[in-house]
Amino acid sequence: MSLEILLVLVVGGIAGITLLLHMSGKSRLHLLTSETAPDQWLRHFPEDVVIDVTVTHDGHAALVRTESGAGLLWSFGADTVARHLRDFDWLETSDGFEVLFHDFSTPRAIIHLDETERQQWQHLMDPE
Amino acid sequence: MTDQMTFPDAVQWAVPFFIAAILAEFLWIAVKGRGGRYETRDAVTSLIMGAGNIASGFLLGFIAYAFFMWLWQITPLDLGTSIPVIILCFVLDDLRYYWVHRFGHRIRWVWASHVNHHSSQHYNLTTALRQTWTYTFTFMMVVRAPLILLGFHPAMVLFVGGLNLIYQFWIHTEAIGKMPRWFEAVMNTPSHHRAHHGRNARYLDCNYAGVFIIWDKMFGTFVPEQEEDKVDYGLVHNIGTFNPLRVAFHEWVGIWKDVTQPGLTLRQRFAYCFAPPGYSHDGSRDNSEQIKAKHVARHPEDRGTPGFERFDTEPHVTTAGQV
Repeated sequence: MSLEILLVLVVGGIAGITLLLHMSGKSRLHLLTSETAPDQWLRHFPEDVVIDVTVTHDGHAALVRTESGAGLLWSFGADTVARHLRDFDWLETSDGFEVLFHDFSTPRAIIHLDETERQQWQHLMDPE
Repeated sequence: MTDQMTFPDAVQWAVPFFIAAILAEFLWIAVKGRGGRYETRDAVTSLIMGAGNIASGFLLGFIAYAFFMWLWQITPLDLGTSIPVIILCFVLDDLRYYWVHRFGHRIRWVWASHVNHHSSQHYNLTTALRQTWTYTFTFMMVVRAPLILLGFHPAMVLFVGGLNLIYQFWIHTEAIGKMPRWFEAVMNTPSHHRAHHGRNARYLDCNYAGVFIIWDKMFGTFVPEQEEDKVDYGLVHNIGTFNPLRVAFHEWVGIWKDVTQPGLTLRQRFAYCFAPPGYSHDGSRDNSEQIKAKHVARHPEDRGTPGFERFDTEPHVTTAGQV
């Protein structure tokens, strides 16, 4: 197979499949609730004991308090990713926080919050 | 001895089939409402990883090929290109695949290349194409050396290796439940390979087969998919990026960060490169054996069941927090 044909097939295939998936609604983010968030956390950290969860109004992130410390759970495409809040920084943005993890495989999480949530989360993430 | 021999690049010729099969699987799921999940960015990342794998073959493939041709020059054996020889080469190359794949899960240096194939939380035909860009740097091409020294021409060895990869494409699906019993007994199937992609403690480090599942049964790494333990796809610590560059290189970066920590002995630095994934000098991480042991401690009812056969007696606690 010539390189030109291979290139057209690969680029055209990727573009076509991307368009098909997006147009058919496959770009929707996972929605968390206060009922599902603990299970999602335990999926990532089965040894933890969850104390409580605080889910954002848009359902795309949750602050999880566990017996081993706080953690962040957030929507990652149709799934979720979770990290303990141990080695991180956070920046305030116009509509929430950007949490930076110092981890090449998971560089950041964007959290959308309304004004009431922002104060609550600020307190939960930085209790001092 | 024949130096000039050409076989088609089977993987490149299979690209149109890959695209058609992905569309067919997507439509099947849409029509039936079951049989798998698709997500746009996950699928696009997988497809870009596949394209990058082909590109890395163009850019770096000459290194392995030069090595193979050097071996071909020094071996006195030439088995020719008859159909039985090609079939034998295919079977032996599948045995080679089993061990390379097993090393890929048990040696962090090789895992750094293979991890990206397991980095999706989905399991569909695009996952099959989520392939490494850095295989050359693992030096696993040396595992093919015995085949060439035995007299299989390098072009034939690469050809059957391509067929092996094409076979493995169709088993990356949830749309097929179980194949007929005789087929499940001998061949690698969607069911067996789903288990291999599981991050559940039960399924860690099992079912390394490419085409023939018999290798896992021979070498004690076979775990059948369990109906009561649904496979949860992905990594023990799932990554939080769809960026193909981060997907391709994150474990290499992890190795670098671990190895360059201050205050480690030479042995510890070596272990961060070549010990099984999950090694840590201070016991702060768990490898797959420790994850399984902790799972059995939490779920003693699983003791002795598939994937936990080695934990059929009470665990021996050696140090605080470690079993």
